[in-house]
Amino acid sequence: MSCCFRVHGRDFEKAGEASTEIKSLLKDLEVDPQIIRRAVVVAFEAEMNVVMYADEATVTFVLTDEDISIEAVDRGPGIPDVAHAMEEGWSTATDEMREMGFGFGMGLPNIRRNSDLFDISTQVGVGTAVTARIKLDDHG
Amino acid sequence: MAELTHGFRIEEEACDGCLACMRACPTDAIRVKHGKAHVLSESCIDCGSCLKACSRGAITATTRTFEEFDRFAFKVAIPSPVLYGHFPREVRPEHIVDGLLAAGFDAVWDYGIEMRLVTLANVDYVKRWRGPRPVISIMCPVVVRLLQVSYPRMLDQLIRVHPPREIAGREAKRHFSEELGLAPEQIAAIYVTPCQARTVSILQPAEGGRSYLDGSVGLPQVYNTVLAEASEAARTGQRHSAWSPVRSADVLRLTLRRPLTELLTQHRYLSVAGLPNVIRVFDDIEKGKLKDFDYLECYACWGGCANGNLTVDNVYVTLAKLQSLIDELPEIDPETEQEVARRYPHEDYSTPRAPAPRGAAVVGDLRERVRRKQEADRIAAILPGLDCGLCGAPACKVLARDVAAGEAEKGDCVFLSRQRLEELRRMHRRPE
Repeated sequence: MSCCFRVHGRDFEKAGEASTEIKSLLKDLEVDPQIIRRAVVVAFEAEMNVVMYADEATVTFVLTDEDISIEAVDRGPGIPDVAHAMEEGWSTATDEMREMGFGFGMGLPNIRRNSDLFDISTQVGVGTAVTARIKLDDHG
Repeated sequence: MAELTHGFRIEEEACDGCLACMRACPTDAIRVKHGKAHVLSESCIDCGSCLKACSRGAITATTRTFEEFDRFAFKVAIPSPVLYGHFPREVRPEHIVDGLLAAGFDAVWDYGIEMRLVTLANVDYVKRWRGPRPVISIMCPVVVRLLQVSYPRMLDQLIRVHPPREIAGREAKRHFSEELGLAPEQIAAIYVTPCQARTVSILQPAEGGRSYLDGSVGLPQVYNTVLAEASEAARTGQRHSAWSPVRSADVLRLTLRRPLTELLTQHRYLSVAGLPNVIRVFDDIEKGKLKDFDYLECYACWGGCANGNLTVDNVYVTLAKLQSLIDELPEIDPETEQEVARRYPHEDYSTPRAPAPRGAAVVGDLRERVRRKQEADRIAAILPGLDCGLCGAPACKVLARDVAAGEAEKGDCVFLSRQRLEELRRMHRRPE
């Protein structure tokens, strides 16, 4: 089962809608609450990264018997120093973003912490693709 | 799981299948089958919306009758402060004590002390709390049940401190058993409640374990007797009781949902009332917002407990009366302050455990659930999406889900089945 969302950069009004839909879908499927929590954190952080830094992105959610995968592929500035961006607390957020309660440098680290498999590829001036997988246990 | 107790029942005889309760239910816990409403127990959060919506009087709150407490040797009333906003201005709290004694209680408890104690315990808890914020109040049992059913991941955020009414029950039993030389089990601590959800929370605490209270009576059950006796006492100036159960303004202020302490008056405190608003705020918390707030107080009823479904006056009148009482009373009286300082360090206010998640039992493996979800999506696509409710489910999506789960049929929809329409026509034909 899969679904796709378009996320637009700088659209703070609609920010969080994709992760909310993913949450309600997983809730409907009675997936284990701990797994839903992790998936929603991953989806939310990925979505917020797009809203804050990129022009637009496609967020794809795929559910199989084994795992949940969330992939965010954006068109945007890319990340010059990925190793740095993976450090907790490192951020290029503007004051405006921080005032809204974002940009504490927890986005990518949070995605990695809440997923079982994490991959990022980026090209400066082109965009970034983040893929995260969350394994389902026996209870799904 | 043991069968859940709920604070109301639907009289089948009186129900005419009008759909009003089903439409009012915030958790989609009601279906109307064969012209009769019934409740899906696991999804019900005891908010009482159905009770208010039913114009046939078919849904009634189950509080205890007063006689049920006769098995106790001594009955202490622990009245919700909402009660004091229900009488003419000249009727003072001390007159209301007389009224409650006339209604059959042996004593009335001053629960201002426990309110302060619990507030202190709340502040300490919030300061120590290292988990996700905001911490959420457990004052309103409906809010606790909403979290159990719809936001299980936020249950850890519920404050693990008993509400004041519970601590009052514990202390009242201790006090009177000592004073009268009776066993604590012989003393009934009875809450005079403004809503049926409190009754449920006493019968079946969400935290598990047992309530310190022995039960509750609804405010309307004692209202007439209390009104007559209290008015008489106010008129003649002759009182049996020499003291007032409300000695300072802060007790009543809590009822008006005003913050009481230094911590809570800062910007990091939110007070939310009305179930749709509470749901919006909880959705925001789930999205990761509101982390900058320390404490969140939520009430299912608009206007808070003064608008509970077991109140008598309208909420605005009650709030105005409570406000005028507040204006007259001292901020805090020395006696209360002393008692609070003496008791606070020696008592434990924490609840035994966090409430557990609740909801329909998980059916089948993930593959089966995905199949069902896809089936439900397919069915939803052929339903009209008007949410008319004539099928007996509150929304087309809900019917689709019920059909996929084998609990309803596509033909229940009047758009898909002429037969269903005819059946409804027969069932709801008005007499010529």
